[in-house]
Amino acid sequence: MDRSRRNFCLGAGAATIGAATVAAMPANAVVPGAASLRRNGDPAHRWAMVVDVGKCVGCQACTVACIMENDVPENSFRTIVSTYEVTEQGKAGSYMLPRLCNHCEDPPCIPVCPTGATFQRRDGIVVVDNTVCVGCAYCVQACPYDARFINHKTQTADKCTFCVHRVEAGLLPACVETCVGGARIFGDLNDPDSAVATLVREENPKVLKPEQGTQPRVFYLGLDPRFQGKVDGTPTLWRPSGETHARKEHA
Amino acid sequence: MDNHIVEVINVTREVAWLPWAVQYFFLIGLSVGGLLLSLPGYAFAQEDWRALGRVALLVALTCGLAAPVALLSDLHQPGRFWHFYVVLRPTSWMWWGSIFIPLYVTGLLVYGWACFREELQAHGRVDSRLAALYRLASLGGGRNDALIRAAGLFALAGALLVALYTGAEVAVVKARPLWHTPFLPVQFLLTALAGAAGLVLVLNRVAAGNDRAVELRANRLLAGFLGGVMLVGGLWLALGLFGLDATHAEALGSVAGSEAWRVTAVWAVAATALPFAIAVAKPAGTGLLTGLIALHGAWMFRWTVFIGGQTVPKTGAGFYDYALPAGPEGLLGIVGTAGLWLFLLIVLIAILPSPRRPAPAPARAPQAPAGTVAAAE
Repeated sequence: MDRSRRNFCLGAGAATIGAATVAAMPANAVVPGAASLRRNGDPAHRWAMVVDVGKCVGCQACTVACIMENDVPENSFRTIVSTYEVTEQGKAGSYMLPRLCNHCEDPPCIPVCPTGATFQRRDGIVVVDNTVCVGCAYCVQACPYDARFINHKTQTADKCTFCVHRVEAGLLPACVETCVGGARIFGDLNDPDSAVATLVREENPKVLKPEQGTQPRVFYLGLDPRFQGKVDGTPTLWRPSGETHARKEHA
Repeated sequence: MDNHIVEVINVTREVAWLPWAVQYFFLIGLSVGGLLLSLPGYAFAQEDWRALGRVALLVALTCGLAAPVALLSDLHQPGRFWHFYVVLRPTSWMWWGSIFIPLYVTGLLVYGWACFREELQAHGRVDSRLAALYRLASLGGGRNDALIRAAGLFALAGALLVALYTGAEVAVVKARPLWHTPFLPVQFLLTALAGAAGLVLVLNRVAAGNDRAVELRANRLLAGFLGGVMLVGGLWLALGLFGLDATHAEALGSVAGSEAWRVTAVWAVAATALPFAIAVAKPAGTGLLTGLIALHGAWMFRWTVFIGGQTVPKTGAGFYDYALPAGPEGLLGIVGTAGLWLFLLIVLIAILPSPRRPAPAPARAPQAPAGTVAAAE
């Protein structure tokens, strides 16, 4: 797995090309590969989330908190609570399934990235450097969870970051902070005493699409197998309008 | 009792690979197909393939030059294309593509120049104000079969790499069952060959002198390619229908429940079988029709794979809606790419008009007044 940010400058030839490019471009341009140490994360941690489906009330407070915290553009979502009406034996009920990037241990979005813009920090969080991303959307295609999208403000790939800026400041992700039912539990899998490590160890949680072999680090308690993969049901009644997003702006 | 699930709230992910991508895969496929069809006549100097090879070369050059523009436009940050070239990302087929495309296009241009050098030299001998430019373009030389063969083999290597990467780039996407089949690269190649033969037929009719021998040969080639398309398509379907292979069963299962997809499948079969039957039954005089249908089939295959494939949700229920936007993210991109291709074609055939074929009966051939060629230039 590509835990190091990217393999830029692996060879002397690449280094030479890179140096030549740096010399030729404006001072404020961003060089792919010019990483700060802070962005690599602390390998002592492995951040993960456990979602207790039984505690989710479908209020979408997490959806809104995420949008406000991360300035997610209109009609785009880094997380959402998929909501279903389930009828069994003539009785109808609701089923809520919070969805977000799974920060997989073996993320399929990373190897396909042609520029190294998307990478996994050493603490397991998968992020996108939107100053490097070319917006090719290959990662959007490769994600089995539809967790990625093109942000029409930045014209680059976008996704949940576990609110990495908050985590580094010792805070919880916005969606966890705001969850009224306590359905989202966030913590360090490397800490055996953490809530997530305990739940993963003792409650045998499930993950979405395990057959994809991505080893998600978002776990679900009480996950109905009918919702583990592509849901076999009648399509959504409400859709965000697709016409109002910002026009594509070529850089 | 009634058991069912209704999705009340979920996110609709919009198409992220835009119609620009369809245009790119269509054009680069036609270019690769055109190059392959041009090789017998030029690189391997088979004279009876020469006329077809010339039209195929026009296909390869015009499509090969327009395709990278479409690809660049599909990037949401096209100005950052140079980011591909300052990193090593061998795990990404798209990164390999950024290496292979310039390699192929460069090889194609050199090969095209080597093939047309004889014509450039001939134009340079005509009394014309542009003669000096033609002589300059020919670099003072004429037909050189060894150079043509070397350049052709180099371009062939580039074309095979492009065919490999374009197929693999899509087929490796495990998250989309419809794409994740080993048959897809083969289907891309075969439909590209059929589309290229189709465009040869169309150009032969409208821009290259309507050569009957070219039409006959291209129609027979088209029938062969379409036969291959049907064979592979049939295998794909059989593997999925009878559950012989889990990958194909999953691919088929991801769309089998949709009425729109079933109609699309019937349409695709018709668009393949119909020109096949016409090309087999009546290869003469039908080139424009079979060519246009084959082109339509090659484009439709890519549209269905890319745009249709992205309307299959990975987690949500049913299918996403797609309406073609009128602007650069939709119709304008398609029309613009087609316009660019047409412009390149006009430029190429203006610089290198089709050589006149020998008249069947010299006594009845109209006498061209001296200087006509020069005046036409």
